[in-house]
Amino acid sequence: MNNLINIGVAQIGSAENPAVLRTILGSCVGICIYDRSKKIGGMAHILLPKNNGKGNDEKYADTAIPMLIQKMLKQGCSKEFMTAKIAGGSSMFKFKSSASLSNIGDNNVISTREALKASGINVVAEDIGGNVGRVIDFFLEDGRMKVKAAGNEQLYYKV
Amino acid sequence: MHSHIKQRLENIVDNLDQLPSLPDVVSKIINMVNDPNVDFKKVADEIVKDQAITANILKLCNSAYFSKGKEIASIDRAIVILGIREVKDMVVLATTKAVLNKVIMGYDLARGELWKHGVAVAMVSKNIALMKKRRDISDEVFTGGIIHDVGKTVLALFVQNTFKDILTTVEERNITFQEAEKEVMGFDHQEIGERVLEKWQFPPILRAIVRYHHEPQLAPKEHMAPVSIVHVANTLCLMAGIGIGSDGLFHELKPEAINAAGLTEDELEKIYSEIPEVMQKAGEIM
Repeated sequence: MNNLINIGVAQIGSAENPAVLRTILGSCVGICIYDRSKKIGGMAHILLPKNNGKGNDEKYADTAIPMLIQKMLKQGCSKEFMTAKIAGGSSMFKFKSSASLSNIGDNNVISTREALKASGINVVAEDIGGNVGRVIDFFLEDGRMKVKAAGNEQLYYKV
Repeated sequence: MHSHIKQRLENIVDNLDQLPSLPDVVSKIINMVNDPNVDFKKVADEIVKDQAITANILKLCNSAYFSKGKEIASIDRAIVILGIREVKDMVVLATTKAVLNKVIMGYDLARGELWKHGVAVAMVSKNIALMKKRRDISDEVFTGGIIHDVGKTVLALFVQNTFKDILTTVEERNITFQEAEKEVMGFDHQEIGERVLEKWQFPPILRAIVRYHHEPQLAPKEHMAPVSIVHVANTLCLMAGIGIGSDGLFHELKPEAINAAGLTEDELEKIYSEIPEVMQKAGEIM
């Protein structure tokens, strides 16, 4: 039986195989980073794109991602074996009112890609955008990511 | 429209036995507290008749979310120190968990997700009310937040059978998920929820919150502010993924609600960005 670890909003976590990291996403982005050599996986669930220095680092793409990578490096991972899969970044179906909040899903995705690129981690799969809610399961035995959205399941195997 | 489903739902809402139940003490307490001449002693006497509820409330009293620092060992003291409206909110927290803490099939919510969503919306709603200096309704939006989706517990089974049609209707007609529920099944989860609250004999303000939380612009004028606050809190919690299900973000954040709640762009962003802190506190009262 796999050890299931829930990652809440604005949290990061990492574990070794065997384990499954799970999170549930709306406009937030879930980042699944896998070291295929060590079979160690890390997940971040970011709420907002950029940290202006006010809040805790786990909340923002630009600070949570380097933090997660550092955590994994300390566990013995190395960047040459690490890749990322990302999911989430949905928008409200109808949103006429608030300009900045209406783009939050898209901005979270953009900032996530930038932070991963700046850290030298390749993005090998994305399941992003639209208006769906997503349940993400990240399996550390092989690094696959399962996305359940609007009643459908999709699997991403590439690592 | 699936007319056989509509008919089955009509039977359910006309037959109160098929709707979820709450102990009678809950509506008694809510309606006593709403009376301007409320007798604190009578409220306390009513609560202590039920040992399980009393034990739960004393636990909540001493949680960091409700506690004011002093150890509380009796309902009398809780009312004096924390306030009668807070104690009423705790009665609702302690009793609705059994109704909401379930697997909600059609909406694809695992056990605990709808309950967590209700508590989160309650806390965010209360924060908005306090931010906008509406202490007078901060307890009502808290209670309303907890139970706003109670209709989903009844509708879930039917959503499971019609989910594809609902989603197709959303896409083809460019309407929200809740509007499509009504198109496909003849009822949406707000209307079913309103019937549940009628059964529970909850007051009009709470019924309005449940009935109009997706369409606050249609709420009776006197309840527009509390309904709008819960609408905004619900939308922001879903965006943050708290209790988001198969209906996803196929909803709308209504400009009328933002206006009625008197929220600025900056305030909306602040409320959204503080949801993780709310969730940390929610853990201890769930």
